Amino acid sequence: MDLRSPALLRRVWGDPVIDDSKPIFVQIAELIENDIVDGVLAEESQVPSTNEFAAFHRINPATAAKGVNRLVDDGILYKRRGIGMFVATGARAAVIGRRREDFYEQFVRPMATEARKLGIDGEQLAAMLAREPGLGTQNMAGQREGAM
Amino acid sequence: MENVSKVYRDVRALDGVSITLEQGKIYGLLGRNGAGKTTLMSLLAAQGFASSGEISVFGEHPYENERVLSRICFIRESQKYPDDFKPEHAFKAAAIFYKNWDNALAMQLARDFQLPMKRRIKKLSRGQLSAVGVVIGLASRAELTFFDEPYLGLDAVARQLFYDRLLGDYAQFPRTIVLSSHLIDEVANMLEHVILIDKGKIILDDDAENIRGSAITLAGASARVESFAAARTVLHREHLGALTSLTLEGTLSPAERRAAAELGLELGPVSLQQLVIRKTLDAAGVEEPADSPDAARKNARMGASR
Amino acid sequence: MNRAVGVAKMQLINKWTFLGIPAVILVGSFLLTLAIWAIIPANVGTVYSGAGQAVMWYFFGLGIQALTLTFPFALGLSVSRRNFFIGTVGLFAVIAAGVSALYVVLGILETATQGWGLNGRMFALQWVADQPWVVQLFFYFVLMMFLFLAGFWGATVYRRWQATGTVIMVLSLSILLLGALALISVQGWWPAFGAWIITLTPGSIGLVVLGLAVLLGVGAYLTLRKATP
Repeated sequence: MDLRSPALLRRVWGDPVIDDSKPIFVQIAELIENDIVDGVLAEESQVPSTNEFAAFHRINPATAAKGVNRLVDDGILYKRRGIGMFVATGARAAVIGRRREDFYEQFVRPMATEARKLGIDGEQLAAMLAREPGLGTQNMAGQREGAM
Repeated sequence: MENVSKVYRDVRALDGVSITLEQGKIYGLLGRNGAGKTTLMSLLAAQGFASSGEISVFGEHPYENERVLSRICFIRESQKYPDDFKPEHAFKAAAIFYKNWDNALAMQLARDFQLPMKRRIKKLSRGQLSAVGVVIGLASRAELTFFDEPYLGLDAVARQLFYDRLLGDYAQFPRTIVLSSHLIDEVANMLEHVILIDKGKIILDDDAENIRGSAITLAGASARVESFAAARTVLHREHLGALTSLTLEGTLSPAERRAAAELGLELGPVSLQQLVIRKTLDAAGVEEPADSPDAARKNARMGASR
Repeated sequence: MNRAVGVAKMQLINKWTFLGIPAVILVGSFLLTLAIWAIIPANVGTVYSGAGQAVMWYFFGLGIQALTLTFPFALGLSVSRRNFFIGTVGLFAVIAAGVSALYVVLGILETATQGWGLNGRMFALQWVADQPWVVQLFFYFVLMMFLFLAGFWGATVYRRWQATGTVIMVLSLSILLLGALALISVQGWWPAFGAWIITLTPGSIGLVVLGLAVLLGVGAYLTLRKATP
């Protein structure tokens, strides 16, 4: 159980991770998912208990439990009786898969809207993307596996 | 509590209050000064008496009922202690009556709050006095524990300590906790359920998550904002030049969010504190003058500590 | 019942209030009296001292204190009013019994030592000391209970009805008393009253005071039932 994950650490550096933007339990679930995707929480590794989450983020334990349970329902986490919560095998792929579907809504659309506002056209966008390491079309094939 | 009223001469401290507290949750009892929070709690603890209505705790009426009373702890905001008592005496007394009393916890908390155990309680500072009450409340592990504005006199560090200890102990030993507070922002994330009371009446009684999800702010160019929100209930309106910020009831579907983003409108959350303020003002029938920057300042002040 | 005992324990947490100060008063007034007597020339005859009653008045104050200071706290700890009453009054009864016994013993000692070698009379006041020790015990006990309950009752009235209520209560009692006196005067009962007074013994006074103490106790309990912290 590594509490030093980037997502969890942000609170220590003063940036409140839990805010009013979404239901708290959703934010908890997302924080855990972030860590799974980032590889900080490996598959079959143990996740902090709901009480630890609640204490760390200063939220109600029932709310933390709700977030964790949501991930259990989604098959991302599972419970080992008497021991605790663990990351399920295939969880990372599942989360990444879901996030890829949301990627368009969450990131591309807002980017497109902003680009339109600023008068940036498709070609200029593509050129900007090519500047990003690993995103140019030639490199994609090599980068598909194990992207961190 | 069913339709409980409490009348003091000409003042209705509680007016037709009906609430149910479920076991094992942390409740926030919010409201302005004199709204009736302390009265409500003291009635549940049978320290005060209702003028009318029914009260039942753990299935029985709490008045003079030792079976029920021994499971309740209610230390008031300005609790009186026997004259020459020191904190160590108060804890000894609490240990006699609370069968779940954890003395090790009490000692640890006293150290955390830097309570002078050998100084007379009447000579303690306001913050230290609050700390005594808080320690008793926490260490009693009573099944129904009330904290009546426990933060009075406590500085920010001590308050944070209290919240942390409360959450930690609650997680290990779940019980029903009722916390009354003005500092909504500080406790918002800890509450599972919120009860908002104003002038003796309950104006909100709902899960914290539901309340948070019940409104949204929309900001942007005035014309676009107004037209977008045309069909919706506007809880609050603010102008700044050509910009308008509206607090709307309800939430936006993903499609609506997209539409708003296209229009260049910004969506933002509404904090529990803002919602509570809004509800309280509405219940009081206070109309905000539309363009007033004072309204924004007043809102900010209301959430500040007493 | 256990919680009533708990209340007694709580009242004893601060040993001074119920135990320490009465002890100090007793010892102090005793020694002081002896010192004063030692100074007075021996041929004055029997010297008297009211030192015995000093601690009684403290008990009156104790009655007030026991309620005023401890009741709100007891309620905060969710003790029932009944258990508070039983525990506190019960504790005091035990103490009163103890002090009464002490008085009887000291009275015997006093007579045996010819007034502590100084011909003094502090505990073995003639009128009381001539009675069998049981009656003496009863007399002192009832007196102490009366004073304690008077303080306790007064404090309860104040707690329940605040200043206004207390004033009204005092006025009512005064009126009752005056009324009784007036009645006696009007009916010319004074001679009969006087004759009756002379026949009073510590035993019969004790009974009267007992009756009053019981009244006070019941009154205090009933008032307490609806008192708030």
